[in-house]
Amino acid sequence: MVAYIIRRVIVGLLMLVAMSFIVFALFMKNPVDPAQFSCGKNCPPERIEETRQALGYDQPLLVQWGAFAKGVVVGREYPADEAMREANPELVTECAAPCLGYSQQLQMTVNDEIAEAAPVSISIALVAVTIWVVFGVLFGVLAAVFKGTLVDRGVVGATLSLYAFPTFFVGALLINFVAIKWGIFPAPGYVTIAEGGVGEWLLQLMLPGFTLAAVYMAGYVRMTRAFVLESMSEDYIRTAKSKGLKGGKVLFKHALRAALTPLVTMFGLDVAAVLGGAIITEDVFNYYGLGKLAVTANETYDLPTIVGLVLLLGALVIIANIVVDVLYAFIDPRVRVA
Amino acid sequence: MTVSEVLIQGPDPEIDPEPRTGEVAGRSPMRIAMDRLLSDKVAMICAGIVLLFVLIAIFAPLLCKLFGVELRAGDPVTDTDSFNYPVIGPPNYGFTWEAPLGLEPNSGNDLLAEWFYGARTSLLVATIATVVSTVVGVVLGLIAGYSRGWGDRVITFMIDLFLTLPFLLVAIAISPMLVERWRENPTMLDNASLIALIVILSIFGWMGLARLIRGEVISLREREFIEAAHVLGMPTHRILFKELLPNLVAPIVVSFSLSLPATIAAEATLAYLGVGVTGRPSWGQTILRAQSWFDEYPLYLYAPIVGIVVLVFALNLLGDAIRDAFDPKSFR
Repeated sequence: MVAYIIRRVIVGLLMLVAMSFIVFALFMKNPVDPAQFSCGKNCPPERIEETRQALGYDQPLLVQWGAFAKGVVVGREYPADEAMREANPELVTECAAPCLGYSQQLQMTVNDEIAEAAPVSISIALVAVTIWVVFGVLFGVLAAVFKGTLVDRGVVGATLSLYAFPTFFVGALLINFVAIKWGIFPAPGYVTIAEGGVGEWLLQLMLPGFTLAAVYMAGYVRMTRAFVLESMSEDYIRTAKSKGLKGGKVLFKHALRAALTPLVTMFGLDVAAVLGGAIITEDVFNYYGLGKLAVTANETYDLPTIVGLVLLLGALVIIANIVVDVLYAFIDPRVRVA
Repeated sequence: MTVSEVLIQGPDPEIDPEPRTGEVAGRSPMRIAMDRLLSDKVAMICAGIVLLFVLIAIFAPLLCKLFGVELRAGDPVTDTDSFNYPVIGPPNYGFTWEAPLGLEPNSGNDLLAEWFYGARTSLLVATIATVVSTVVGVVLGLIAGYSRGWGDRVITFMIDLFLTLPFLLVAIAISPMLVERWRENPTMLDNASLIALIVILSIFGWMGLARLIRGEVISLREREFIEAAHVLGMPTHRILFKELLPNLVAPIVVSFSLSLPATIAAEATLAYLGVGVTGRPSWGQTILRAQSWFDEYPLYLYAPIVGIVVLVFALNLLGDAIRDAFDPKSFR
């Protein structure tokens, strides 16, 4: 058991290393000059050179990656170039571990940018995850129990059509009709708990949360329905029923348990993806989370921010994978032997 | 007559005057699946809808001639008034056969033609990307599943690695690079953006199928017919493609029919974020432009949306039906 966990963590670390290297190679060694991409859209050549030196793009790829790795583990200083640090001590910024980069344009470390934007993304993610897990599993169970009837087809059809609509359209519809025309919800604008209290905070998160959940709910309904149906036809369910166990107890204690493992796997990965910033949802509702940060960085040609966000998101997925695999070992004893 | 007598002498003509002769009609799994699919009404309706879209995509130029509209023939001077609103059709005037879906504000282009050609772009990009990722996924899955040890470990590592990369982020980051690279050369940019879009969609699409195929191959490789082929001296690549692959048709077909709508949706999303194909009409780009006109000119936005939603919905239902048709445990 412990050996399994240790093995998983080591493979995970290897994957972190490989992924960060690939991301570096992808962004630093492509046809466009990374320095130009970090400087902004209308940058005079001297500024581009300055950026190149400050961010260390003139160094070979391995050296760059080495400096980055060091930054993640113990922290580093910007500008990346020794000579520049000596010449302008007042420009030196300390980037604490884990350092994900430094944005020359915004003059702040990517960590600080993320720290500002993360609470918004996490809030949206929390609400969305609650909505889609609760309703996804609930509807999936309903569809499975009433298989073949109108309830089944209705539920599956409704969630499928929700999935088929592009996210930005669902969001735009919600804003236009539910918030503005009908006034059920206030016009969206993010409110922190400190400013408005939990009630206001939650209210502002309902619409984006639902928009984000709409995409994932269809998958969960389908999966839950399929797994519950599959496990309901297993022999041990027949045993339980013939033993005299009532339907509901059979459903929840036995059938759902079997459906849990694949659902947990999906859930882990989806949470990691959603935490990283729901790009479209945040763009439509204009909430300044990690997704909006990415889109803005892309428009203003801020490469270090983009690279930092890609690395963060990749790391989140790897960590989620490890957590899910370890949980798997607890839920399904057969896995430990592997 | 006893059983042995019947077997040796043939059936007794008094008891059984018309012995049944002729071939026993067996059906292959593909045949069974096809029959079940063809008898599923919902699936047939969806297949019809998909076929309609495919025909629209293929015959877009012909359809344009039929409706008397032309692609990208709008002239801002004659076709729009001073506020950039179109001079015929919605939103200010009623329906007109000259422009059944109306004209586009700002440019005066015909929206019906944009819709037809947009269908073509969406289906083209999605099909090519799905075919490429299916081929890559199958090949890598076969190799990973059949080889024990390093081949398997390396490919599994690659699968997990690609699964950790965030699709949208990487995709939106690639686009400005392309724009910068080919800023001077618009035709090259159009081609480059098309190829880049297909490459990005393919890169992020092969992992699921590879994993699936790998799992199936792992369970199939222990079977006797593979052992027999191996013992007979069949070279590995023939075992993979002539023995294993035919058994994998079901998951491949299901995966293809379910990734196609996902790719279409992904392409529309990318277009909304500004990473779409340039130069060609595309539903995603129309949606992007139509957003600011939503209040006054909703048809502008609704037409491409309906296109995407109906196509994705129909393809998904069809994919589900195909999966159910191939699954021996489900029955209708």
